[in-house]
Amino acid sequence: MAILQQIKVPLISINDTSLTVVDILFAHGALVKMGDILLVFETSKTTYDVLAEIDGYIEYRCNRETDYEVNELVANIYSDENEVPEKVVIKYEANKVFSKNHPSSDETMPIWHGQTFFSPAAIQLMELKGIGSAAFIGKDFVSLEDVMQLGKITKDQEVQASKQIASLPVDMEKVIVEKLSSNKKREIAYLSSVQSAGLTSTINTSVNTDGIFVHINQSLKHLKNSLLPVFIYESARLLQKYQPLNAYFTGDAIACYKEVNVGFAIDIDKGLKVLKIANTSTKGMKEIEQEIIELSNKYLDDSLHFNDLADIGFTVTDLSAEGVAFFTPLINMMNSAILGISSIDEKLHRCMISLSFDHRVTEGKLAARFLKELKERVESYQSKYYPLLNQEIGCFKCFKLLQEDLSDTGFVKCITPKGEEAYICQSCLKGF
Amino acid sequence: MLVQKINHRLIKQALTIRTVEEKFLSLFSEGKLNGTVHTCVGQEFSALAFAGQLKKKDFVFSNHRCHGHYIAFTGDTRGLIAELMGKASGTCGGIGSSQHLCNNNFFSNGIQGGIVPVAAGYALGNKLKKNGAIGVVYIGDGTLGEGTLYETMNIISKWQIPLLIVCENNFYAQSTPQSVNLAGDIRARAAAFGITTFQGHTSNPEQLLHDAKVAIEYVREQTKPCFFLVETFRLNPHSKGDDDRDPEEINNYRARDFLHIFSKDFTAYYDNYLAAIHKEVDDMVNSILPEPEQAMDAYYQPPVSDHNNNWRPLIGINKRQVELLNNFFKQQIVDNGRMLFLGEDILSPYGGAFKVAKDLSVLAPDKVFSTPISESAITGISNGLALNGFKPFVEIMFGDFVTLAFDQIVNHASKFHHIFNKKVTCPVVIRTPMGGKRGYGPTHSQTLDKFLVGIDNIKTVAINTFFDPAIVYDSILQEEHPVIVIENKTDYGKKILHHQAANFVYEINDAPFPVVKIKPVVSVPSLTILAYGGMADIVNNILSDIFFETDLKPELIVPSLISELPVDIIIQSAATTKRLLVIEEGSAFAGIGAELIAQVTEQMDIKIRIKRISAYAVPIPSVKTLEHIVLPEKERIIQEIKAYF
Repeated sequence: MAILQQIKVPLISINDTSLTVVDILFAHGALVKMGDILLVFETSKTTYDVLAEIDGYIEYRCNRETDYEVNELVANIYSDENEVPEKVVIKYEANKVFSKNHPSSDETMPIWHGQTFFSPAAIQLMELKGIGSAAFIGKDFVSLEDVMQLGKITKDQEVQASKQIASLPVDMEKVIVEKLSSNKKREIAYLSSVQSAGLTSTINTSVNTDGIFVHINQSLKHLKNSLLPVFIYESARLLQKYQPLNAYFTGDAIACYKEVNVGFAIDIDKGLKVLKIANTSTKGMKEIEQEIIELSNKYLDDSLHFNDLADIGFTVTDLSAEGVAFFTPLINMMNSAILGISSIDEKLHRCMISLSFDHRVTEGKLAARFLKELKERVESYQSKYYPLLNQEIGCFKCFKLLQEDLSDTGFVKCITPKGEEAYICQSCLKGF
Repeated sequence: MLVQKINHRLIKQALTIRTVEEKFLSLFSEGKLNGTVHTCVGQEFSALAFAGQLKKKDFVFSNHRCHGHYIAFTGDTRGLIAELMGKASGTCGGIGSSQHLCNNNFFSNGIQGGIVPVAAGYALGNKLKKNGAIGVVYIGDGTLGEGTLYETMNIISKWQIPLLIVCENNFYAQSTPQSVNLAGDIRARAAAFGITTFQGHTSNPEQLLHDAKVAIEYVREQTKPCFFLVETFRLNPHSKGDDDRDPEEINNYRARDFLHIFSKDFTAYYDNYLAAIHKEVDDMVNSILPEPEQAMDAYYQPPVSDHNNNWRPLIGINKRQVELLNNFFKQQIVDNGRMLFLGEDILSPYGGAFKVAKDLSVLAPDKVFSTPISESAITGISNGLALNGFKPFVEIMFGDFVTLAFDQIVNHASKFHHIFNKKVTCPVVIRTPMGGKRGYGPTHSQTLDKFLVGIDNIKTVAINTFFDPAIVYDSILQEEHPVIVIENKTDYGKKILHHQAANFVYEINDAPFPVVKIKPVVSVPSLTILAYGGMADIVNNILSDIFFETDLKPELIVPSLISELPVDIIIQSAATTKRLLVIEEGSAFAGIGAELIAQVTEQMDIKIRIKRISAYAVPIPSVKTLEHIVLPEKERIIQEIKAYF
C-alpha cells in the first residue's frame, strides 16, 4: 500500500490563505494518468490546475465550490484501487481564522489576519528602502531585522551591482572615479529587483494631444498644460480592472495590491523617489493635483513620511518637461508595471506613452489593452470643436474670445443690430 | 542513707540510660561515633518521670540532650545506639544522630526554643482530633533565653493546648553559670501567662515521679498547658571535654545523685544490674558495629528537571485574584477535613489585612485561628500541626515578617523529612504577600524571595495574575512537603488575564505549578524575559512598549514554582532569541536571576546575551517617586534593554 502523491492546497498568492475548489475532474477512486488535471483551484485572482504527477487511483478529500486552507490535504493518489478510502470531506470553516482569543497551541505557525505592528527602526528602514507594509502581510510584529531580512536579496544585488562596477578596470590617468552614493546604490538595487530577471517588456503608443488641455486645464489650478494628473487619474481607474498591473512578483507567487495607490516619480536634486497618492482611484483630478503639489513640497522640504513612500502599486514617470520623444521606463521594486510620459510633439500634436511591465506577472496582450484604453480615455478630453478654436471667434459685445470662455457651452451665432453676422457669448446673451 | 521508694524497674532504666551514654562517650573516644554527644548523666529521672510516664498515644518533643528522654519513652536502646553509630538500622538511619531522633511520637531537634511551638502545634492537633493524647516538650534553662518560647506560652495558655513544658534546669549553659545569663524567676515566667506550674528535683526521684504524674494528669484532664521546672545537675560536661565548672561542686552533686547513693546502699543489686546492662549494651554495640551505613542514593536522588511542554491557551477570568483566593479557601475550609487556617487578624469581619481570609471563621470557626503577632510561634505551631497530619495554611501578614519565622522554616519545616530519615512529612503551607508600589515603606514592601528559594526541600511558589490561583493551591493541597506561597499586594485587586497585549499569544502548560508563556502570535521572538509574581504583571503590560521602543520581540516566561525554575523551557526560548533578561522585584545580588543565569549558563552550549534588572539594593522608600525608581518599572526596564541588548 502506498500513497504516491499527496495534494495539498498550494500557496499561490500571499493574499489568499484559502483557495476554492472550482472543478473536480475525476470520480472518487478513478484511475488517473500522469499529467491529468485532477482538480482546479480558484484564487482571488486566477485559477490553478493541479496535475497528477504519477499514474494511480485518486482519493478526493474535497468538494466542489468549497474553500480549503493552504496546506490542507485535498487529494491522494494511491497505487492500488482498493487502497482508496471511502470519501471523507473536510470542509474549511470560514471562521477558523486565528484570533488572539483563540490562539493555537500547535507548533505550526498560525495564520495571522490581525494588525501588524512596525517598530520605529523598521519603519525608518522601510522608508529608506521604499518597502511598503504590504510586504509584511500576515506578520504580527516587524522589526528592523525583519526588514533587513526582506531586503536581503536587494542587499545582495546591491553588493553584486557594486562588485560589477568594481570589476571593470579603472585607469586613474584616464578617468575620474566618483564613488556611488548610497542613494544611487539603492536605486540600482531597487530597479534591479524587477529588471534583473530580464523578463520585462515595454510597449508604446501615442496620444493625440490636439485640444486636449481645453477641458483638462479647467480641472487644474496649478499644473495647467500638464498631462501628469490626468494620466494618474485615468490609470488609477483602469488599474481596478487591470489588477496584474497593480501587483508584484514575490518569487513564487503574485501579490496583488488590494488598493490602488499610484505613485509618481520625482527627482529634483534630492534623489529619485516615488511618491504615493493614496487610494488614487477614489480621488478626483483636483485632489490628485493638490496631492502632487503637496507631496512635491514635502519632498523638497525633506519632510516626507514613511506612508508617502510605501505600498505603491503602480508608478507614473513623467519626462515630458525634458523634451523626450519616447523612453523605456524601468519598473520599481514590488511593482509589475510603470507608465512613462514623454514630451508633447507640438508639431504633430501628440505625445508618446510607454508601459513597461513584468512578464512574470502579466503579458503583452493585457498591457497593450491597458495602454490602448488609457490612450482613448485621455484623448476623450480633446475638445470636439478644437478646429474652431484656432479661428478668431469673439463675442461682438464683450470681445471675449471663444478660447477664453470657460463655460464650455460655446458662443451663439447671431445678427448684430448693425445687421452683420457675428458671435455672442452666453453671458452677454443671457445676462450675468 | 537512701529513703526513697523507687521501683527497681525504674532504677534499671536509669542505669541503662547512664550506661548507654557512658558507652557513647567511650565509643566517641575510640573514634566510633561521628559528631557530638550531649549526655544527661545525673538527669535521668527527669526523663523517666515525664517521658517514662506518658501513654503510647502521647508524644515527646526533646532537644539536643535527648537520649534519656528517648529511651524512657520508646525503650528503643538499640535504635539509639545504632543511630549514633551512624548505621542504617538506627532510628533515623544515621542521618539525625544524637540530636535528631524520631520514633513513633518521639521527636527531637537540635534547636532550643524552636521545638516548643512545634510541640504546641502537635498538641493542638491532638486536641482537634479529640484523641485524649497529650505531649511533653523538654527544654533546658538555656531555652529560657529564646523568644519563641514566650510567644508559644502565650498561645498555649490562650488556646488551652494540652502541652506539658518540662524545663530541665541544670544551672549551667555549656559551662557558664546561669547567674550570668538569667534574670528573674523561672516559674514566674510561665505563671505570667496563666500557666499552672510545678517544681521538682531529680535528687528526689520519688517526689518527682509523683508530681510529674499529677502534672500529666492535669494536662490530660483539664486540656490545659502546664509548666514543670525540674532542677537537676549534669554530672558530665555539656558535650565531652568542655567543662570549666568547679570540680568540687560537681562532686558535691555526684554525692547526692540517686544512682550513686543506690550503688553505695545496695551494692550487690547495683553491681548485678550494672553488669547485666553493660553486657546487654556491649552485645548491642558489637552486633551493630559491622552493620552497613545508609547508602547515599537511598538518602538523596538529584531531581530530574523536565518541564511540561503541553501548552494550552489561557483564558481570562472576570474576577479579582483576591476573590478567587478567598473562594478557594472558603470551599476548602468547609470540605477539606485536614485544612486549617492560621494568621494575624484573620477573623471575620476583618478577614486579614488583604481579605484573603474573609468569612472563613464564620464558615469553620474551629479551623480558623486568629493569632497574636507571633510569626515564629504560629509557623512552628503550623509545623507541628502538619507533622500531626493536618494541612495548615499560615498567613504571614507581610512578606517582610517572614524573617521572624525563618528558624521554623529553615531548621524545622525544611529538615524534618530528611533528618528523621523520611519517617515524617511536614506539609505546612506558609502564605505571605510581598512587593512594593503601595508606599508601605521599607519593612512592608520588600521582596525577599531570594532568601526563601535558597532553602532546600521547600517549594517556593509565586502566584500571578495570568491564571486562577486555585490551580496552584490545588497542587499545594497534594504536596507532602512544605510550600511557601508568595502573593503580591498589588496583584490581589487585579482581574485574571485582564490585559492581553495585542499580537501576543498567552499559553499555560500542564505542570502542577504552571509556567505561562507569552509570545508573539507568529513572529519568532528575539528577547526571552523571565519575570514572576507581581513583576510578571508589570512586564506583561509593557510587552508592546518593549517592542516599539527596543525593536526586540519579547517572549515572557512566567514560572510559578520559583524554587525550581523551568530552565529547560527558558533555554529552549533563549536558544532562539540569544538574549535572556531576568526582571525581579527583589535586589539582584545572589537573587533568582543569578540562580537562573547560573543554571542556564551551565547547560547552554551557545553564548547568549544575559541581563538582570532588579530593585536597587536599598530599603524600599515610602515616597512614591523614589519607590518607583528603586523598583524596576517601565522606563527603567526599557532603557536598560535598549542600553544592553
